[in-house]
Amino acid sequence: MLLLSIEEITKEYDGIIALDRISLKVEKGSIKGLIGPNGAGKSTLFHLISGVEKPDLGKIYFKGREITSMESHEISALGMGRTFQTLQIWGNMTVVENIMAGMNRRLKGGLFSCGLWLPWIRRSEKEALKEAKEILDSLGLLGKWESIASQLPYGKQKLLELGRALAMKPELLLLDEPASGLTLAEMRQLSEQISQIRQEGVTVFIVEHHMGMVMEIADKIAVLHHGELIAEGTPEAVRRNPQVIEAYLTRRNPN
Amino acid sequence: MVDSKKNEFRKRDVFYLAPLWLLSLIAPDPYLYHKKEFKKKDLFYLGAICLAPLIWFDPHFHHLMVLAGIYAILALGLSLFMGYAGQISLGHAAFFGIGAYTTAILTTRYALPTFVAFWASAVSAAVIAYFIGRPILKLKGYFLALATLGFGEIFLVIVRESTDLTGGVIGIFGIPWFSVMGFSFDTYLKQYYLTWGVLIGLFIFSKNLVRSKVGRALLAVAASEDAASSVGINVPRIKLEIFVLGAAFAGVAGSLFACVMSIANPEAFSLGLTVPIVMMVILGGMGNLYGPIAGAILLTWLMDVLSRYQEYSLPIYGVILILLLIFFPDGIGTRLNVRVIYLIGYWAKKKKRDEGKL
Repeated sequence: MLLLSIEEITKEYDGIIALDRISLKVEKGSIKGLIGPNGAGKSTLFHLISGVEKPDLGKIYFKGREITSMESHEISALGMGRTFQTLQIWGNMTVVENIMAGMNRRLKGGLFSCGLWLPWIRRSEKEALKEAKEILDSLGLLGKWESIASQLPYGKQKLLELGRALAMKPELLLLDEPASGLTLAEMRQLSEQISQIRQEGVTVFIVEHHMGMVMEIADKIAVLHHGELIAEGTPEAVRRNPQVIEAYLTRRNPN
Repeated sequence: MVDSKKNEFRKRDVFYLAPLWLLSLIAPDPYLYHKKEFKKKDLFYLGAICLAPLIWFDPHFHHLMVLAGIYAILALGLSLFMGYAGQISLGHAAFFGIGAYTTAILTTRYALPTFVAFWASAVSAAVIAYFIGRPILKLKGYFLALATLGFGEIFLVIVRESTDLTGGVIGIFGIPWFSVMGFSFDTYLKQYYLTWGVLIGLFIFSKNLVRSKVGRALLAVAASEDAASSVGINVPRIKLEIFVLGAAFAGVAGSLFACVMSIANPEAFSLGLTVPIVMMVILGGMGNLYGPIAGAILLTWLMDVLSRYQEYSLPIYGVILILLLIFFPDGIGTRLNVRVIYLIGYWAKKKKRDEGKL
């Protein structure tokens, strides 16, 4: 079953075509990888899917609904979580509050019921705290639950961002370069984490700059180069694709 | 004998406190974002607020604290918008004015009871904030500051020019004392308990907001709007909600101000008020609810003390503000917690020492 389908999407910045008629499909329950050299348009594609930016042409469907012109918070409310390439945790809150803020969509209560601290708010806050601690426990961050998020080391902040996206119970999780800046050990932990997320029934769409980790965990991989889709298929097929090899080789040896 | 002498407080113990005090300036404050629940310390503050006017039984002090309380309500609402949601508003004085004029007009022209006018003020300020906020909250940073500033000026012009409704530059006189069910708040002491009662109510409301999902959403919006909307927080809506709430607080403060001063004239709601209110929030500390109250008391008291020095008052005022901003960059409220604990600890131990001597 299709969870996300992108049809003929085009995005242009001041005459430079960032994405040229890209069509992609993400099956429910799978891990899809998107790779490509720097400036290939991977992050742009993610911004378009999550509604941060709007495409010039083309349509995006999520769970059978067209989301092309929706606001980004409406798209997330449909069940699409994401992380950012440049880390975007909320450094002005504690670790556990970051996770609890991620649950915002699922918690009941408006301005007045929260201000008056009505009984059901009290109850839902207590449950949210308990659940947030469980999520932190699964990420191995429980020991730091009360410290300010900006004081965590970089790798832990990356994990926290993942945890925040998980806290909203998404059906589709977009991971934008989750492994960048991580040590090898942290990368291994992340791979395990992602496999576990898939086992819980969450579809994962992952953008990665370097191929190693994606090749390991993804079911299907798409390759972007200069805004064009040059290959799509299983990791094995992609690895042998001559165009892909050329794209990656030319990146390393421009001469 | 030797032991008892060792337990005594010696002068050099003050020097031991100095590094601690310095540390409290440098170290990140654990009270800043941490533990938003109510604490025992709050009971101490509550007791101090209830007892202060009885201990210091002076009408001038009472009146000063009434004004400080009103400004604190205003600063509290602005603190939610500025300190938590991370937006800038320089038009808050206008909502204060809207509240004051609503009360003034309803009580003097239509002879409505002040209690009704009180609620009408909050509602009118909130409704106007809703229609103003919808378009201008799309702006960010300096542009938002300019737009709100412009709104404040437009409000002043409207008030000055529509002489029939607002009395023009002269304003409206003879607003009755605040009264509930026949009980009139006609002395400064009664007004003190009225304003601080309202302030404590609104403070508890804000504190509950801050420790619930709304507070987390506000802090999320302040830190990163993209990340906030990526978890399904409706950013424009939460900004509008908190802007309207802040305006309602200002309306309440304006209504109390009109009843206490029994006069509403445009000069009271000009930029000359906006700047001190913003200063109260900044001096008190952003992202802290105790801050605006501490800032309001400090600035009101400072303005009163300095008014004795007449033409020197403004320069002295400016120098003090600059010094405060240098030495308390995060606001006095954020550090206040730590200092008050030291102080209480000192006096508590002193009493014990005295008893031990006896």
